[in-house]
Amino acid sequence: MITRLEIALKPHLFDPEGAGLCRRVGDYFGWRIGEARVMDMLTLDTGLAQEELEEARVAIFTNPVTQVSAFAAGVGQTDLMSSYFSDVDWAIWVGYRPGVRDTAGSVAMEAIADLLGKAPAEGEAAYTSRLYLLKNAPLSRTQAETIARELLANEIIQEWKVYKGSDWLTGAGVDIVAPRVLLAHKPSVCEVALESDGQLAELSDQRNLALNRKDIPVIRNYFLRPQVLKERAKFGLSVPTDVELEAISQARSDHCNHNTFRGKFRYVDIAAGERFTVDNLFKSCIQAPTLKIRDEKDWVVSVLWDNAGVARFDSRFNYSVTGETHNSPSNMEAYGGSLTGIVGIYRDIMGVGKGARLVAGLYGYCVGPRDYRGPLKPHLHPKRLLDGIVAGVKDGGNKHGVPTEFGNLFFDPSYLGKCLVFVAALGIMPKEIEGQPSELKCPAQGDLIIMSGGRVGKDGIHGVTASSESYGASTPAGHVQIGDPYTQKKMHDFLLEARDEGLITHITDNGGGGLSSSVGESAALAGGAHVELDKVPLKYEGLDVWEIWISESQERMTIAVKPDDLDRFMALSRKHDVESTVIGRYENSGKLRLDYGQRTCALLDLSLFSEDFPQWEFDAQWLSPEMRGLTEPVLGQPKEFGPLLTSLLSTPNLCSREWIQRQYDHEVQGGSAVKFLTGRDRDVPNDAAVIRAVLDSTTGLAVAQALLPTYSVIDTYHMVAAVIDESVRRILAVGGKLDEIGGVDNFCWPSIQYDPVQNPDGRYKAAQLVRANLALRDLCLAWSIPLLSGKDSMYVDGALPGDFGESHKVSGLPTMLFTATGIVENVLKSQTMEAKCAGDLVYLLGCTADELGGSAYYDLLGYTGLNVPKVPGFNGPNVFDKDKCEALLDLYRGVEKALSSGLAASCHGIYRGGLGVHAALVALGARLGLTIDLSKMIVQDENLPDAHRLFSESCGRFLVTVRPEYAEEFEKIFAGLPCGLLGEVTQNPQLVIIAGSGREIVRENISSLRGAWMGEI
Amino acid sequence: MVKALVMTGFGLNCDLETSYALRVAGAQVERVHLNSLIEGRKSLDAFRIFVIGGGFSWGDDHGAGVIMAMRLKHRLQDRIGAFVAQGGVVIGICNGFQVLVNLGLLPGFEPGVMKREVALIANDCGGFRDQWVNLSVNTASHCVLSSGLDRFELPVRHGEGKFFAEPAVIENLKARGQIFLRYANPQSTPALGEFPHNPNGSVEDIAGICDATGRVAGLMPHPEAFNHFTNHPDWTYLREKYSREQKPIPEEGDGIKLFRNAVNYFN
Repeated sequence: MITRLEIALKPHLFDPEGAGLCRRVGDYFGWRIGEARVMDMLTLDTGLAQEELEEARVAIFTNPVTQVSAFAAGVGQTDLMSSYFSDVDWAIWVGYRPGVRDTAGSVAMEAIADLLGKAPAEGEAAYTSRLYLLKNAPLSRTQAETIARELLANEIIQEWKVYKGSDWLTGAGVDIVAPRVLLAHKPSVCEVALESDGQLAELSDQRNLALNRKDIPVIRNYFLRPQVLKERAKFGLSVPTDVELEAISQARSDHCNHNTFRGKFRYVDIAAGERFTVDNLFKSCIQAPTLKIRDEKDWVVSVLWDNAGVARFDSRFNYSVTGETHNSPSNMEAYGGSLTGIVGIYRDIMGVGKGARLVAGLYGYCVGPRDYRGPLKPHLHPKRLLDGIVAGVKDGGNKHGVPTEFGNLFFDPSYLGKCLVFVAALGIMPKEIEGQPSELKCPAQGDLIIMSGGRVGKDGIHGVTASSESYGASTPAGHVQIGDPYTQKKMHDFLLEARDEGLITHITDNGGGGLSSSVGESAALAGGAHVELDKVPLKYEGLDVWEIWISESQERMTIAVKPDDLDRFMALSRKHDVESTVIGRYENSGKLRLDYGQRTCALLDLSLFSEDFPQWEFDAQWLSPEMRGLTEPVLGQPKEFGPLLTSLLSTPNLCSREWIQRQYDHEVQGGSAVKFLTGRDRDVPNDAAVIRAVLDSTTGLAVAQALLPTYSVIDTYHMVAAVIDESVRRILAVGGKLDEIGGVDNFCWPSIQYDPVQNPDGRYKAAQLVRANLALRDLCLAWSIPLLSGKDSMYVDGALPGDFGESHKVSGLPTMLFTATGIVENVLKSQTMEAKCAGDLVYLLGCTADELGGSAYYDLLGYTGLNVPKVPGFNGPNVFDKDKCEALLDLYRGVEKALSSGLAASCHGIYRGGLGVHAALVALGARLGLTIDLSKMIVQDENLPDAHRLFSESCGRFLVTVRPEYAEEFEKIFAGLPCGLLGEVTQNPQLVIIAGSGREIVRENISSLRGAWMGEI
Repeated sequence: MVKALVMTGFGLNCDLETSYALRVAGAQVERVHLNSLIEGRKSLDAFRIFVIGGGFSWGDDHGAGVIMAMRLKHRLQDRIGAFVAQGGVVIGICNGFQVLVNLGLLPGFEPGVMKREVALIANDCGGFRDQWVNLSVNTASHCVLSSGLDRFELPVRHGEGKFFAEPAVIENLKARGQIFLRYANPQSTPALGEFPHNPNGSVEDIAGICDATGRVAGLMPHPEAFNHFTNHPDWTYLREKYSREQKPIPEEGDGIKLFRNAVNYFN
């Protein structure tokens, strides 16, 4: 029987969600709704008797203090309940589409089973949905439908219906829907003929395999090899099966294999006439420097092979870190995409070495302007997109019990094509587990292959190949899914207990590519694997065999366990209420063998995956900024610096983001030491966050991220250099040690493959990527920063319809987010950015130059400019000035010393927005004033105009406040280094800026600057 | 040494820092999975303090703490009842508080009777918030957690923390001194419902209540998250201030005091 339970807050209680809906309707559309109430609905598709349902209604689903409820059929109906529907103008129902993860529905079934003491029968299920009742809402049906479509439902995962209030009440046209998945499909394996390369190419298109054309002959040749045919014949196989081709497609995708970064780039700098070839960006710019640094630094523990990098935390523990993006899914379904992204990156930490405990999550969002009103029609408007993304990470982090410590948000119209959602995570692991290094793992021959966590459904199929393509009309919507942090948290706790008992010989997560990736990669370590796919637990019947193998259903890990440890492993799994299933065994066969129902459906030599696939090749043509016509703007000096600074503080890219961080639990686990939001009002972003990752250790773990995509418009070399410099300064500013800073690079780039029609500037974009990587190499080598982890995400392009149905390709700005981690030796020595006491002296460390190109100031005035900030010493690829580089590092060592000796009362890097913006933040965080004299700045050229002094974004600078008694000692540290005493902290809460000739150019009340920054103007 | 049990499992998540705080407060602590209690591998009888801490049990689906409360009710009600009757201390923090009110162990007007009379529902502000709050202790309350305390700050981190009960129940709570903790403004006067000092719209600024015995207590703020001086959002400022005033820099956080009260209750 199908029945629907309707649950509502008692009518006299305030409904915050309803109030929020009214607010958002006003905010998004400007329409007024008097009142909205939200009802929870639970559709039960069970064989339960009426009394049993009623028992569940009362005992589980209705809080006697605050709720009323009734079954749609009228059972439990009260006057209170029916009064709910009076005066309703519109009722909007929103429920999930079949097959979409409905955690609350499964929890309902679990609770009913617990209550009644009987397990659900086959096929019984509960489905949640919601009903929004709009009262006093003088809207047309079209308007109500707009609210449903644009605000409440995402049609990719949800269905909605709009009813007139009176129709809902009488039940006219209201049906009870159970979104059951019914796949009247018998799982099958089919064989694929291999007559010609063209045939395989055609098949690749039909099946969405996204096989690279150049790979096709290699794949065909493999299957036509006599030795291969002979061995396959033993298992009843001849031509490849669909399972095999799908597996190969996953393994060869750009997402898994990083074909772009491993490509060959023929680079030419047209203006300079310089030419060179970079064979494999990954090897030359990421791997080689990191391996060199690893050999020099004893604190680098494990890099470049595992799900995440590992570095030393203290004498007992190591930490791990990694980051990635989840752009394509978030662009389609913002909430589900970002949620799946954050819980996905957590699994990388859970699967590093033999497993790490999660201690922090981080986020970075790049989206189109929130108030975009132009002609292009992105799938989701940036405003809604951002709200959804923010909420996804909120639920993912909060419900997982992982503090979300730090984040970024950047608006730019180029992200209308595809948004960027960066996620990163940190973990902690004991150095040793039962005497063995915790970072090492290897499945042995004979170990069992176990899948733990969620079940497998159709979700996420072809997610990997979809993110390896640009977003367009043909992108399959099926790859979007909703993460389930609750299930994963249980698995996290379970796996740590299993790890500590020494039960895990190998572990890795099921992310992109599902089992095909996790088993494929671990089989390569073990020397072979045999999997019985019919053992894999499914959410519902009807999946094809290849779908089971590549499904990206979330919350799953693949673990290798010795047969002798199986019973104990399973007992722990049961204790933690986590499903674990033996699905196969590692073997020494050199092969990956997949069976389904006693029949072999795939038999692939592991060597096939390291076969000689043709390297991708790119032409990279660098056009210098001058050749592209970039110049400095012809701008006179502003006369109104106060209003200018106030305006800058209110711009979307510089204003307060407290509203995001406040929604994120950043204190769970009890180790929060330096919070992202600081200051007396606890809302100014600090340079970095510091956590006591191990509560009884005095060591602090600092983490920060940076991105500066507007610099890419001028030169991606300097973009990457500035980003790394900024992240390093952020770590130093909280008291981190320069010698123990690790990095994670996350590249997001538009497509770089030249095509005269589809990508006419592909060669230039390829050159941008080469230069970005060269900067990464140069900075990491010169500063000894190992890349503990990293990932690239290409194809940040979208095709957006315009006013007349024409489509526009919109490519995202070349973007690199850099995550820096660092050790603070004694957490009690860490520091925050806001000034502390009136009378303290204000120093500016570092040199300021004419570097407004790509700045927030130029952006405000509508310019790009030419003079992009350059990290001292790094003038471009192969143009290195060692002395300048060393001088900068001396300054950085000075900052480290000043902080560790407690000489700085505050320390803050100068970043986007320049001295003006950051001095204002130092003051408004303190609720104190600041008086600074621009003529005391150390500048490259004494004639530097005031606007440049205030807003130049030159790298390598810090603003430090110092107690007068410590001034002498502080200045001694920086003798011979650029260190200017600009002024002092004042009790009078005003920002006063004096220019060259003693002229006061700014006198603004901190409260008005704060108001602007908080968006109150 | 006083033995404390910190419950884990099914999405609870503050167990590590809660255990740490209890250890600092002088307890001998064990983290125990709910299923180990249900299946009898561990018994509450071996402990004097029982903590259900923060987290998202069952993902908060169907109401925060509801499903956990139901499981406790059906599997452990008698054992929990006996634990309280024998003089044990039960502490529910955040999700644990939500569990205790849905279980009906709070408000517990009559010893031994579990009845749902109060609720913790969606914040008036419309969503999850992580912020620090000023709290003032009702010195007239007999709650064992707050004895000797007057005011302190702690973080709240929840989406469903609005304390609600009908007026008669509230009057009863007041009359019996069962409201031990209230949200206050920075001057330590009552928040009077004003956001963000009262972060969720709780009736009467209620942040924590205890039962008739004073040994069962629940609160939304997280004392275990103020286990160290560096947890406080202003600590770098306070360090600067104290050092200029030549005052010592503390290392312990105020949250430890509540746990120490629980431990000392048995000493």
